[in-house]
Amino acid sequence: MGGLRNWGMLSLGVLVAVLLALPLVVKNSFVIDIFIRILLFAFIGVAWNLIGGYAKQLSLGHAAFFGLGAYTSTILQIDFGVSPWIGMVCGGVVAALASLPIGWLCFRLRGPYFAIATIATAQVLMLIFLKFRDLAWGAEGTTIPNLGHAPLMMQFEGKTAYYYIALAMLTLGLAITYRIERSWMGYYLVAIGEDEDAAEAVGVNAPRIKRDIYMISAFLTALAGTFYTQYIYFIDPNTAFNFSVSIEAALVSIVGGVGTLWGPVIGTVLLEATSALLQSWLGSSGGVQLTVYSLILMAVILWRPTGIMGFITDVYQRRIRAHGGSVQAVLDA
Amino acid sequence: MLEILAQAVINGLLIGGIYALVSIGVTLIFGVIKIVNFAQGEFVMIGMYITFFLFTQFGIDPVVSLIVSMPALFVVGVLVQHFLIRRVLGLNDLPQIFLTFALSLLILNLALMLLTANYRTVHTWYSDEALHIGGLYIPVAKLIAFVLAMALSGALWVFLRATDLGKAMRAAAQKPEVAMLMGINPNRVFCVALGIALALAGAAGSLLMPFYPAYPMVGQVFVLMAFVAVVLGTLGNVVGALIASLMMGVAESLGIQFVGADSGLIVVFAMLLLTLAIRPSGLAGGRAR
Repeated sequence: MGGLRNWGMLSLGVLVAVLLALPLVVKNSFVIDIFIRILLFAFIGVAWNLIGGYAKQLSLGHAAFFGLGAYTSTILQIDFGVSPWIGMVCGGVVAALASLPIGWLCFRLRGPYFAIATIATAQVLMLIFLKFRDLAWGAEGTTIPNLGHAPLMMQFEGKTAYYYIALAMLTLGLAITYRIERSWMGYYLVAIGEDEDAAEAVGVNAPRIKRDIYMISAFLTALAGTFYTQYIYFIDPNTAFNFSVSIEAALVSIVGGVGTLWGPVIGTVLLEATSALLQSWLGSSGGVQLTVYSLILMAVILWRPTGIMGFITDVYQRRIRAHGGSVQAVLDA
Repeated sequence: MLEILAQAVINGLLIGGIYALVSIGVTLIFGVIKIVNFAQGEFVMIGMYITFFLFTQFGIDPVVSLIVSMPALFVVGVLVQHFLIRRVLGLNDLPQIFLTFALSLLILNLALMLLTANYRTVHTWYSDEALHIGGLYIPVAKLIAFVLAMALSGALWVFLRATDLGKAMRAAAQKPEVAMLMGINPNRVFCVALGIALALAGAAGSLLMPFYPAYPMVGQVFVLMAFVAVVLGTLGNVVGALIASLMMGVAESLGIQFVGADSGLIVVFAMLLLTLAIRPSGLAGGRAR
């Protein structure tokens, strides 16, 4: 197994080096924008994967936390002059706290009805921000005052800095997932995902574990909300609590492979690359992107329910068997 | 004041009849096949567009177009069950949820591509007519929709109670293994159940058309209502879904009347979350699972 480990570390090192060097080589802002989207949605997918992938609590309401993060930092910035860097953490805390009552309600239901209840919570939050103008600008939303180059206020000229922030967030999300995967919590999560009643029967405190992982997931999703608002310099209830954020968070994980470290990343690369290709091909006409996403999703569910990661694992194991069960033989071949 | 209240209740009941057709479909599918159909609203949308095209191309009245929209969606239901849903039965939650969810996304976005996001309306001779009874205002188109919706719900109830196929359906819902031993082919029963559920969604679409615009996203309003009604009325319970839908229509209408025009949905979602907090198993007290 030593050989495999070294190969893994080596390819990870190459990947990190390429990602770090990328903005130095690629100067086209359209391409950088695509990479920022990939990093951002991979990060949201990683956050979703903690609760949706490992614990199999299939949330379709992560836009709630995305929006809370976006609104918290923006309100702090515009009304109180607080830097979005601080606002980002505050947004994460607000979302984590909000996940307590949301989870308290929604975890009473299982499976599809959990998903529906989470949709409802995100929709209620959107309606609240639409309806109560005193709270935050109502339906019109607001633009973020452009201060030019102001790193302390999370504003930069050019897109390179945003790229590195998104890359840092994704790294954070993956590191947290890696740690959780290898801790007792990771095993409890998988046990809950496999069969919640059985997990409880052997002494796993399922409500507590679900509550804790939901908080972590909400916290991370909110960071993405702050970042996105700062990146596009605009916020309104429809972008902040958009259902498509909830959809994409779940979709990238399912297509890539739920409950795996790299699944959401691979899923995002596939979906966002397809979407970018389609846009340059057909223009950004309404419906094309989600039509293709839904076809990919359907194909994955019907033929590869374990996602692309499951497919890779299958092929890999078949090759190991074909080479007499030795990993080294496969690598040498 | 009392008159305003009565008017709001009537408005709510009338639209609640349409919600009932959608909810009964969702609850029937859940009861028999044990899956939640996220695409139910999109089939309402298809029903609306069928009705719209029959009206604009051939001048066929929306009520008459029921005889096209219902069989057409019945066939769609049989195909969806046989070619898609059958393949994920017995698997875990994830494929079951996301298959119909993907179907919903697919139909919605195909409609967006092919039919554009424009609102389509149908104007019949009774679209602007209304009955005035003791100071109350009852639009004829909504009354027709309500009466036919109730008639269809009643017909379904009789079908489930009195016919062999209906009894087979209820048997397959309660004990699929035993039903199979008794010679019931579950896939055939499931096909019929999904067909009926989609036919009801198509009927809802046709009946809506004289007073409601068709657009690709229209189904989402109705499916959310239906999900809430189905939870309220206890999953899989047809009569529960019917009563809950009428209640939701009234709640929404009261919200619009007394809180503000765009607060109807807030009231409905608040009802859902409140139900979850107080009685997660639904008003009829069945299982929440």
